Amino acid sequence: MVNVILDLKNVTKRFGGLVAVDEVSFSVRRGEILGLIGPNGAGKTTLFNVITGVYKPEGGRVIFKGVDITGMPAHRIAKMGIAKTHQIVKPFNDMTVLENAMIGALFGKRSGKIGMGEAREVARRMVEFVGLGEKANHLASQLTLHEKKLLEIARALSAEPELLLLDEALAGLNPREIEESLGLIKRVNEEMGVTIIMVEHVMHAVMNIAERIVVLHYGRKISEGSPEEVANDPEVITAYLGDPSLALRFVRRRGA
Amino acid sequence: MDVSILAINVVSGLMWGCVLGVAAIGLTLLWGVMKVVNLAHGELLLLGGYAIAWLYVTYGLNPLVGALAALAIGVAAGAAIYWALLHKLVGKVDIITLRIEMSTLLMMFALSIALYNVYSHVTRSEPRGIGLWHVGPTSVVKFGPVAVQMNHLFAAVLALFITIAVHLFLTRTMVGKAIRAVMQDSQAAALVGIDPVKIKMFTAMLAIGVTALSGFLVLLYESSIIPGTAYKYAPLGFVIVVLGGLGSILGSFIGGVIIGVVYGLSKVIVAELYSPMASDPIALSTAFVILVLVLLFKPEGLFGRR
Amino acid sequence: MSRAPGYLKSPTLLLIVVVVAYILGERLAGLMTLDALMLFMYFLGIAAALNIIMGFAGYVSFGHAVFLGIGAYTYILLVYFVPTMNSLQKMGAGLGVFAVAVVAGLAAAAVAATIGAVVLRLRGAFFAIATIGLDFAALYIVKGVVPTLNPEQFYGAQVILPSWAIVPKEDVFNAMLLTFLLVILTNYAVRRSGFGMGLLAIKEDEDAAEVLGVPTAKYKTIAFTLSAFFTGMLGAIFALNGGGVDEGIFHLGHSINMIVMIVIGGLGTVSGPIVGGIIYYWLYDLLLIHYPGLNLVILGIIVGLVVLFAPEGIIGILRKLTFQGVRLRELLE
Ligand SMILES: Nc1ncnc2c1ncn2[C@@H]1O[C@H](COP(=O)(O)OP(=O)(O)O)[C@@H](O)[C@H]1O
Ligand SMILES: [Mg+2]
Repeated sequence: MVNVILDLKNVTKRFGGLVAVDEVSFSVRRGEILGLIGPNGAGKTTLFNVITGVYKPEGGRVIFKGVDITGMPAHRIAKMGIAKTHQIVKPFNDMTVLENAMIGALFGKRSGKIGMGEAREVARRMVEFVGLGEKANHLASQLTLHEKKLLEIARALSAEPELLLLDEALAGLNPREIEESLGLIKRVNEEMGVTIIMVEHVMHAVMNIAERIVVLHYGRKISEGSPEEVANDPEVITAYLGDPSLALRFVRRRGA
Repeated sequence: MDVSILAINVVSGLMWGCVLGVAAIGLTLLWGVMKVVNLAHGELLLLGGYAIAWLYVTYGLNPLVGALAALAIGVAAGAAIYWALLHKLVGKVDIITLRIEMSTLLMMFALSIALYNVYSHVTRSEPRGIGLWHVGPTSVVKFGPVAVQMNHLFAAVLALFITIAVHLFLTRTMVGKAIRAVMQDSQAAALVGIDPVKIKMFTAMLAIGVTALSGFLVLLYESSIIPGTAYKYAPLGFVIVVLGGLGSILGSFIGGVIIGVVYGLSKVIVAELYSPMASDPIALSTAFVILVLVLLFKPEGLFGRR
Repeated sequence: MSRAPGYLKSPTLLLIVVVVAYILGERLAGLMTLDALMLFMYFLGIAAALNIIMGFAGYVSFGHAVFLGIGAYTYILLVYFVPTMNSLQKMGAGLGVFAVAVVAGLAAAAVAATIGAVVLRLRGAFFAIATIGLDFAALYIVKGVVPTLNPEQFYGAQVILPSWAIVPKEDVFNAMLLTFLLVILTNYAVRRSGFGMGLLAIKEDEDAAEVLGVPTAKYKTIAFTLSAFFTGMLGAIFALNGGGVDEGIFHLGHSINMIVMIVIGGLGTVSGPIVGGIIYYWLYDLLLIHYPGLNLVILGIIVGLVVLFAPEGIIGILRKLTFQGVRLRELLE
């Protein structure tokens, strides 16, 4: 039997009358990279927020490592081994890069059992791993967008998570930066053994890196499978037709 | 319990509430439009009050005319405060962050320290007022068992009138409509060609103008004012703004009336159940208990949007 | 950092040592009156106390006068009505005063823990306004209730200590010094701890901090409670030194003093409130002597200028500088 690290069962999240996530179920296997795609407003960020405990779902269960974590406070979920990067970067601006990562280390998996010195070590390792070593003592506010996105990853990794949720870590980057970041994500997955769910708009990137893809549309899961299966799913194509530019990219990919 | 005592307290609470409501309009506008928490509100209220009292005592100017002068002074002060203190912090930004919000709050707070102490210095903290001047030929009006001071009644009626006037200004004039647009969504307002800097300045002028004008009502209500009067009205103003909902003129008025009536009622109840000596302060404390409860359970207030 | 000369290793500790040495020196030399020295420690102390919640966690509380007041009234009423407390405060050359002040501080802390748990759910201006509300609620309640406790003896809400409850000034001084050291060193310890890092993260971005595992609600409440505890202790000793207390202790102006000192010195550091406190105390005195009556007007203008042109405060500006090749932000805590 495959080792399931995260199991979503009929998760529903509403904002007033709007159903942002609608009865979504899928499982994530330990060690894989799962792509989560869908047009803007599909509910991807909201789903991440439900998994990490930022929002309490109105319905359904979130099971992590066999434990029901539905409705647990976010900080406790973080300690259980889930880390997230933000779509809109949220660096602690008035702290250095290293201090940012230290917060991750101090309050992550080993929270309460890790001293300041050791947290600094972990943080330094992760900052170097993502390639920000030279900027370790710079204020986060002085970084470029690309660097801020890397900082998000370093900070999340410092928590030593088992599951990492990347929310559009590639959006807004140029092609060279995207290639670099993809390499980084692969290394996180392979060298550190971290399971990854990545939400992405840059379609070809996910298609190349993810073993499996889940597609959301208006809060509902409309497709799940290998990149090839998903790309050829008529429902997915129709969904993306609502967004012409995305549809175009999709068609190109299928043609290629 | 004596019913007429209850009636007297409720009626006087009601009238005071009208004054409180109008006195909070300036506060709600500044906060609603540009997130400026005006900690100098009490002092700006007194600016009007002191101007009227001074004009009356020195030149014998009728306080009704003095009130118009107070309005003019308030409008001018609004423009000056905007350019000198606020523009650098809120003028050019679309989204007012928590950090900016705290900066303007501290800024207005600095203004309040300065003004408060100017007043204390100039008046030596001695009371100022318009003495026995009263509006009509009789100083008291009777409604059955309830006797009402003419000045209080006039203040309440004028309060209602000012509220309606500000409401009409905001809903009927171009500037007013623009202010409301910026209040709802400053980015969208900028997109349709409204100059946000101008609107913020007009808001400050309107808000502080109305605040100074309501100083007249405070003067009518309190027999005299001292710098410390600011510490009575400004905090109650915050209660009313939160209760009524940020930026809501109607909410401000109704919030004021609610606070006034609750004050009147609790005064009677505390006097009856606990101690007459404690009744006034404890009745005042109810307003602040209401404030905290509203913030926690209905933070958008009675008429506000979230 | 290895390039830092020895005396620069920890300027913050150095600053603390200098300040304490100054106080002790003045005490021995006897140039400043005990009252003036105590006021100095009181100012720096309340700034440092508020710093725990305002400087580190970023929650600007206008309600700390409440905790000053609770501490003051608890202390004064305890020694007034409870004979054992009165005997206790007279023991141990100030240690007794310190002990009763701890009780007073605990009363303030208990109130802070109760209301903090709910009020700290509010952010920014809403939190500030709620704390202003708490201040006035407390003011009016005390104004209403205290006079009823002993109507023959109390003048309104004013409680004056009778001669049998007076403590020698030297004892009060010792208790103040002890409390002052405690609050400053607590600041230092918090700043260097994981707890302190968590608070700073809350100040920067509370939502991001929570997702990273910082137990934000718990940390804020602890910081608020700790801050109230020291504020209560200082309020208690301040009142004792003044020989009594009245409702003026709840005056918003007291909260405002604390905030202004932190704003001038700079948020988020240990040295900020110390430097801000020293400057504020000095300015306050200086302006009072040269511009009596207008001193606070000028102070208001200075605060305004700081907000407009140096929002990070003095330490904030220093932290941007480099000295002998060392970035000061790494040293100035
Ligand atoms: N805090 C919120 N309050 C109300 N509506 C929200 C909130 N967050 C997201 N939404 C709405 O939920 C839907 C899903 O949003 P989101 O999860 O951000 O989509 P995605 O990340 O897939 O682009 C959108 O319609 C969005 O407007
Ligand atoms: Mg999103």
